[in-house]
Amino acid sequence: MTTVKPILLAEDNPRDAELALAAMEEHHIADKVVVCHDGAEALDYLYCRGNFATRQQGNPVVVFLDLKMPKVDGLEVLRTIKNDVNLKPIPVVMLTSSREERDLAQSYALGANAYVVKPVEFHQFITAVKELGIFWGVINEPPPEGSDPIK
Amino acid sequence: MESVTQERPSTPVPIRSEAVPDSNPEPTPKTSGPMAWFTHWSIERRVLAGFGLVFAGIVVISAVSYRNTAVLIENSRLDTKSHELIQLLGSVGEALDAAESGHRRYLVTGDESYLKSYRTVVEQMPEYLRYLRGLTNEGPEQQARVPTLEQLIARQLGAEAEAIAQRKEHGYEAVRHLALSGAAKKELEGIHRLMTEFDSAEQRVLHARVAQSAGSMKNTIVLLGLGAVLQLILLASVYFLIHHDVTERRRVATELQRRGELLEAANKELEAFSYSVSHDLRAPLRHIDGYAALLSKAAGEALNDKARRYLQTISDSAKQMGQLIDDLLVFSRMGRQDMLRTTINLDQLVKTVLHDLRLDLQGRTISWTMHPLPNVSGDPAMLRQVFLNLISNALKFTATKAETKIEIGSVSRNFGEAEVFVRDNGVGFDMQYVNKLFGVFQRLHRTDEFEGTGIGLANVRRIIHRHGGRTWAEGAPNQGATFYFSLPLARSLR
Repeated sequence: MTTVKPILLAEDNPRDAELALAAMEEHHIADKVVVCHDGAEALDYLYCRGNFATRQQGNPVVVFLDLKMPKVDGLEVLRTIKNDVNLKPIPVVMLTSSREERDLAQSYALGANAYVVKPVEFHQFITAVKELGIFWGVINEPPPEGSDPIK
Repeated sequence: MESVTQERPSTPVPIRSEAVPDSNPEPTPKTSGPMAWFTHWSIERRVLAGFGLVFAGIVVISAVSYRNTAVLIENSRLDTKSHELIQLLGSVGEALDAAESGHRRYLVTGDESYLKSYRTVVEQMPEYLRYLRGLTNEGPEQQARVPTLEQLIARQLGAEAEAIAQRKEHGYEAVRHLALSGAAKKELEGIHRLMTEFDSAEQRVLHARVAQSAGSMKNTIVLLGLGAVLQLILLASVYFLIHHDVTERRRVATELQRRGELLEAANKELEAFSYSVSHDLRAPLRHIDGYAALLSKAAGEALNDKARRYLQTISDSAKQMGQLIDDLLVFSRMGRQDMLRTTINLDQLVKTVLHDLRLDLQGRTISWTMHPLPNVSGDPAMLRQVFLNLISNALKFTATKAETKIEIGSVSRNFGEAEVFVRDNGVGFDMQYVNKLFGVFQRLHRTDEFEGTGIGLANVRRIIHRHGGRTWAEGAPNQGATFYFSLPLARSLR
């Protein structure tokens, strides 16, 4: 069975998640998307524990992170990923409503690979999500599994 | 739709009056009476006056003490002289007595050894007299007695010399009558009388002087005591003044700190609020637009034109509100953001802004009149926003005109301040609404005439106020508008 690497979308708002999925559907990449509804669930997925204990091993091709989420927020998830040798190579894209300088600065300081502000206008939103999905899910070459540049 | 008719409580008061700060915000305490002038003095002036008085007191006390001490020293010198004089007179008297009794013994016995004291007197008398003249040269009364004394002594010694000579030549018999009473009995008595006068006069002067010294000493002590008390009182007042001032300052500092903390808390709250607006308020709008689009896609074929227009309106309204929120966030950020202070070349800044607006300028025929602008002191990004908003406005409200004219220039009426204006020949405005121009969400035109959220000029005013300047405008319907703002000039130009 050929393994299609999934896209992890951490988004607490079900409507935003649905809209994002609708956008990705247009380019037939929606089936690759795994949706987590808060930061804790996203971490469970990444560490294959809790509800995801039985999932197929391997890192997602990209993580889309909302900033403001219940339990564990986006910045916390980002910090955990970038401090873990195994998770570090995963590209992380912040996908958020906030344009606040503080959020931008903190995200990049923690090692985010990109920062995208969700546009209010649906067509722009759809374009943004689509392009992100295509770039990170299709165009961008992900790091090889189990790679550790420090070794 | 016409927001002009809406009255908002937050509407700023007229531009001019708002910009002029209250010149004397602190109420000055009104006091009457002779001390009124003192209460108007600043604390520094009062302390200085206090120290001045202390200093003046020290100078006066020092001068008087110096004078009194000089008198005491002089008196003590004169006292020494008086005592010497009295002593000298005693010695002279004794010597003359000894000479007199010696010469009488010689007259009786003819034994020359009795003439020893006489000869000593004769020998030493000029010295004694010179000394006497020296001791009396400062008192005219005593000085007047000296020649008489000299004469008497000369006569005594002369008479005695004559008697001794007769004894030598003619023997005892010749001087027999003199041997018992002495040759100069009368003179010696005169000398003793004069010496008593001398003595009592000197004692009198001495007593007077002692009394004067004692008085002077007493004065000095009283003055020093009084001066010390006065200085203490003055220093205590100055200390009280300083202490009062320091306490007051400390109180004000504590109060300022408390208010600063309150302000900081309020600012944090505002930041949290605007963050929440930025993040949470936009999400539902995104959903409205998103689901409207999804609905239109899912059921677009089945919908009639009317229903499709409704969907479009839902979508447009959501977008408009999104724009409003974005503008409001920029407005809020302009108020909170830290400000830079650098020298800015406004000519260069306007060029950059026009470059940024080049897309809006396409297809427009505009006659620009650009006057040279001064260098000002301020935040480049913020002032860029000011010109961007004003020039965009000028372009927007001239869009309906066949020929667009925009003029940018400056006038410098006040020292250290530049007044910059942006003038257009657009639709203008009625001066009765001038107070609403710079308010948040205030619009003078219907949205279907000119688009916009009503934040631009509010932002201009906020930025200019943060730079310490003023904003105002002039205009008339269909005759264009002129927007003015003042800014502090760059320091090198002042």
